[in-house]
Amino acid sequence: MRVLGIVAGRIGLLFGLPAILVAIWWLASADSEHFLFRPLPDILVAFRETWLGPRLVEDLLPSLSRLAQGYAASLVLGIGAGVLIGSSRTLRALVEPVLELLRAIPPPALIPLIGLFAGIGDTRRIVIIIAGCVWPILLNTVEGVRAVDEVLADTCRSYRVRGLSRLRHLVLRSASPQIMTGARQALAIGIILMVISELQRTDRGIGYTVEQFQTSFRYPEMWSGVLLLGLLGVALSLLFRLADREILGWYHGLRATQKESR
Amino acid sequence: MLEVRGLHKVYDSHGRRVEAIGELTFTVEDGRFACVVGPSGCGKTTLLRCIAGLLPPTGGEVWVEGNQVTGPPPGLAVVFQEYGRSLFPWLRVRDNVELPLRAAGLSRARRRELATEALAAVGLADAYRAYPWQLSGGMQQRVAIARAVAYQPRVLLMDEPFAAVDAQTRADLEDLIRTVWRRLGVTLLFVTHDIDEAVYLGERVIVLSAAPTRIKEDLAIDLPVERDQLVTRADPRFTELRAHIYAQIQKFKHTAPQEELS
Repeated sequence: MRVLGIVAGRIGLLFGLPAILVAIWWLASADSEHFLFRPLPDILVAFRETWLGPRLVEDLLPSLSRLAQGYAASLVLGIGAGVLIGSSRTLRALVEPVLELLRAIPPPALIPLIGLFAGIGDTRRIVIIIAGCVWPILLNTVEGVRAVDEVLADTCRSYRVRGLSRLRHLVLRSASPQIMTGARQALAIGIILMVISELQRTDRGIGYTVEQFQTSFRYPEMWSGVLLLGLLGVALSLLFRLADREILGWYHGLRATQKESR
Repeated sequence: MLEVRGLHKVYDSHGRRVEAIGELTFTVEDGRFACVVGPSGCGKTTLLRCIAGLLPPTGGEVWVEGNQVTGPPPGLAVVFQEYGRSLFPWLRVRDNVELPLRAAGLSRARRRELATEALAAVGLADAYRAYPWQLSGGMQQRVAIARAVAYQPRVLLMDEPFAAVDAQTRADLEDLIRTVWRRLGVTLLFVTHDIDEAVYLGERVIVLSAAPTRIKEDLAIDLPVERDQLVTRADPRFTELRAHIYAQIQKFKHTAPQEELS
């Protein structure tokens, strides 16, 4: 019984506020005659008709696939370059000012520029996502690699743990909490850029579809697209949390132990 | 065999020149157990890091097993004082013990065998699945010792390994080290600031002066091979030896280094 109570409590905490907000939305919009703010049931009907069909494959999947490709490429580039830069003091001194400058440029401002050399196809949209996602991963990886514990580094040296073994068991693992922080920020940026990259010169994708509904005055459908993006964000953040628990289980345990002993 | 010839170390940073080690020459024969004691700040850790190949000396040479040390030599293991920082928090106990063996290219079966044996030897046969931070300080240092044992070194260096554990644990670990040393037949150099510990453990105690460090005295410990926390420490010869070393260290604590040199 107590366990059931705890489970019920947690579910209440998780879904309580969203349920209340949906209820308020439902009640407040129930008699709405306003052309823009349609009653929630209308939007839900539009949601079902719009998204639970061919559009799921034709518009949502291409968007997700571009996000996945851009995000994966950002992880490879960001972690790869971050390890290199973080491991070399000279390299760091050389590139850090440039990195700060590049990071400060908002990625949407790069869209026209990227269009010039990456064409107008999928590549362009993926490059836009990379242009935004790579920075938090790169900069956090640099910080994480720099902060490798000296005693652990000495331990590796004296036991002759070198090269790839050192990279895998010391450098990457020890930087993994920072890398995950960067990856989390990058995921949020990636979702935004996924939508923005589809607003121009596209004929497929969830961002494009929402834009189309708006210009053709199909507001319930437009709202349903916004709702879908919200749900997508929640789903991706839950997935990320699962990955985080898998990769950083040791870190959360260590932190909890340190907190207790204090 | 471990040979230190005319070792000299000067730290030179930001225009400040600190002579840590004046001149040290000594040899530890195969399979012998030597302790190094000296007042705090006398360069004990510097000496150990030079022997381990983690720090280049300013002058002189270190030879391990007939090879001059230019980097961390094969067949040499180090147990550091900071057990909490020398174990990999993202690896379970057994993987911590196995990592150096893995880097050395040993087969999985052989690694498993050595790790299991070593963990049993330090009394941690059941803890192999735990993470280091789930263990007490004394148990963590046991894991570090097990890692050194599994590595099957010919020379083992220990840098104040028990400075951070409580008195009871310390006594247990001291006896453990005696047992391990006798079983492995390893050449052991044990650095400590604790005179009692040095006398209790070693076959020989090398007493260092304050920086710039020189050998103050090289004393054979003529206590029986079988040592016991109660019996040995109550032995009149033990008391005599520790009083002698204590007086030595006290003497040059109060004398200026310049007078020491003459």
